[in-house]
Amino acid sequence: MTGLPAKRFWSRPWELRRRSVLGINARNIHFLLELNPRGFYPALDDKVLTKKICENQKIPVPETIAVIERSGDLRGLLNLIGERQQFVVKPARGAGGRGVLVIVRRNGTLFETSDCKLLSLADMRYHLLAMLSGSFSLGDRPDRVIVEQRVVPHPVFENLAIGGTPDIRLVVYRGVPVMGMVRLPTRASRGRANLHQGAVGVGIDIATGLTFGGVYRDRAISVHPETGLPIQGIVIPYWSEVLTVAVKLSKAVNLGYLGADMVLDAKQGPLILEANARPGLSIQIANRCGILSRLEMVDEQPERALSPAQKRALAAALPDAS
Amino acid sequence: MRLQKPAAWTARLLVLLGAVCVWMRLKAGQNAFLDYGGTAWRLSYDIAFRAAKSGAGVRAALPYNTARSRVLRETFSYPGSSMYVVRSDQTGGREAITVALSPSKRSRFLAQFDIQVSPRGKLSPDSFREDLSETARTHYLRHEQYIQTASPPVTELLSVLAANKASGSELLDRIFRYCSEEIAPGSDSGPSDAAGTLKNGAPATLGRARAMVALCRASGLPARLVTGFVLGEDLEARPHTWVDVHVGGQWVPYDPENGYSAELPATYLPVQRDEVEIVKAFENEAFHPKFSIHRLRHARAAGLQESRLLEVLDLTRLDPGMQRTLSLLLLLPAGALVTAIFRNFIGVQTFGTFAPALLAMSFVHADWRTGVVILIMVMAVGLAGRVLLNHLKLVMVPRLGIVVTLVVLSLAMVVSVLDYFRLTPASEAVLLPMVITTMTIERFHICSEEEGLFCAVKILAETLLVALCCFLVLRLETLGRLMLSYPEGEFFVIAALIGVGRYAGYRLTELWRFRDMGRLQPPEETK
Repeated sequence: MTGLPAKRFWSRPWELRRRSVLGINARNIHFLLELNPRGFYPALDDKVLTKKICENQKIPVPETIAVIERSGDLRGLLNLIGERQQFVVKPARGAGGRGVLVIVRRNGTLFETSDCKLLSLADMRYHLLAMLSGSFSLGDRPDRVIVEQRVVPHPVFENLAIGGTPDIRLVVYRGVPVMGMVRLPTRASRGRANLHQGAVGVGIDIATGLTFGGVYRDRAISVHPETGLPIQGIVIPYWSEVLTVAVKLSKAVNLGYLGADMVLDAKQGPLILEANARPGLSIQIANRCGILSRLEMVDEQPERALSPAQKRALAAALPDAS
Repeated sequence: MRLQKPAAWTARLLVLLGAVCVWMRLKAGQNAFLDYGGTAWRLSYDIAFRAAKSGAGVRAALPYNTARSRVLRETFSYPGSSMYVVRSDQTGGREAITVALSPSKRSRFLAQFDIQVSPRGKLSPDSFREDLSETARTHYLRHEQYIQTASPPVTELLSVLAANKASGSELLDRIFRYCSEEIAPGSDSGPSDAAGTLKNGAPATLGRARAMVALCRASGLPARLVTGFVLGEDLEARPHTWVDVHVGGQWVPYDPENGYSAELPATYLPVQRDEVEIVKAFENEAFHPKFSIHRLRHARAAGLQESRLLEVLDLTRLDPGMQRTLSLLLLLPAGALVTAIFRNFIGVQTFGTFAPALLAMSFVHADWRTGVVILIMVMAVGLAGRVLLNHLKLVMVPRLGIVVTLVVLSLAMVVSVLDYFRLTPASEAVLLPMVITTMTIERFHICSEEEGLFCAVKILAETLLVALCCFLVLRLETLGRLMLSYPEGEFFVIAALIGVGRYAGYRLTELWRFRDMGRLQPPEETK
């Protein structure tokens, strides 16, 4: 953080405007309310539906092992899991990584989670019951539980992601990926990849897939806050596929302003985890750049029906994305 | 943006609509409304008399308007008689004089007064300033048949009361105390004049008041008797007499009979000043006045207001209980506006959208100190219970049911314990919104589990901060009364909410959140 002007506790509103920073109010009013019709939200808020849409459109997603709908199904839990050593359970309507359990090892009926906790079968059943009753779901409504393949993350972030799976978030505007970041779980975020829970966001150059500085708890950083390792200059593998998958997802879910979350599987490349209709704004700090000018540039494109390749080309030509 | 225009136009339309409504009603002079907590009464006179010869009749004094009571409507009926109303220059009072047209026939005079009583005065005290002319002064210091200012019992007692050179208000206070407390309670057969009362005690109804007037007059303070009614449901109301003493340039009322000094309850309705008879006959054989007082349920039933369509907008015509409820409900939008401003302009997070406003509302009509103590205790018990409940591994709905039970139970226990230590809280302080409190506990717990205790405490503090600001706004009593009189004011609230809802600028907290954006260079330059 050397060579920067002195720390300040406030930015002036005009500075933010000059840097084309998008605020929450403007995001909600000008983009979400305009471009993301409320009717499309259920398909995104329910990951079972999102996965179905993706599978129909041949968009790669982690393989579903089972969907548990009723508490009665929990008796057959062991049958559903079979002999799998690793899997993930998550609420279909969860948000912010709430309730997600990543099982990394298993000894009969003893499960070890990614944050090194041991769960008995009874613990596991209670956790799933809580999920079904809606403890982790939006609006506290009864929920379904997804049991799915545990993605083996690409080793490129091995030393940077602590206690969890890193993912990639791309903001896709009118079908054009405009900004991206890698989200690295930390000890502080307890393995979850959500920035407001303390994960690290690392900005990505959209054109090249090369990382540079990042964000941690809303502060700009250039090294990992817990390990001290540099987070700049990492080449994201499968970058071109990442962009393609994001473009496809935005077409499939029909949202004008979308956060596409995907995980990089070591073998399969990018797999869509979820489509977020209200993507957060800290990605701008990670990218050292406001998103507004990029959105405006996409708006200036006369032709709406761009092919995915054209959209990717457009993404590469965005301002600030040298 | 596309939505900009309709929103702006809707807001303007609402402001216009609200302004037009308010203006029309101000113009229609709809300010004769029942005050918050006001009451309405109907006082009826029924005077039957038989005239001995033509030209005979009765004179009946009519109620005065005072700072807190107003006669809004009066009706008279006088079958077979003629009637006219005269005003007295001396006292400013009015009398209805009914004259029988044919003698030796039964005549009747009926009068009805619809009276509005407000607990708060509408006039400033200055408006009662009344400087006495020299003649009036002499008049109110005079010696009368029953108010014997120069009689020995009066002068002797006065010299005792005026010991240590007490004068002015000190002396007046002593006189009042003596008449109110020292004179032994009496019976109908007791004396009713001043001298007799002071000499023998145990006076009949008028004795105490006359004794006080006599003592005041003897000490040089102009004083008079006032007769009227104490409004209260009564089919056979009897007039009551109290005392006016002229001090500090105004008439100050005292009721030695019931022990009120300087300020009487709003229900005291003066009818006759300087005399004790409300109805007097002239050249009559006999007359029988009957008075009754009846509480009117609300101003509209009372016909206190002409019915106009615009009147629908005036909620102050409803009965006080309904007014109280509605004024509380009408404040909720203001609370929502405060919350919206905090969330969208400032960027404060709260547990639940309406929790702060509802919490604030529950404190508005209660003693907030007790309320806060109860809230803290209930929250503490609820949270402790919620933490323990975690071990039972219950699903959500039954778990919330248990938390709400704990909340209710701990509330009851806190009240009971406070009562045990003789700190009984008012029942309004218990109006804590149970469901909101329960949901706040649940959200706090989930937040502390998932985002950490620090984050949960922070949001809780922010929720309470917003609740405090809501409280400061909602407790403005005038706001509640204003909304009750002008519910169209909610149009302005909606317009303001539209303004907040279309505010696309940065939130105050974003200036902090994006503090690094102002100073950081774009990536090309940092490399």
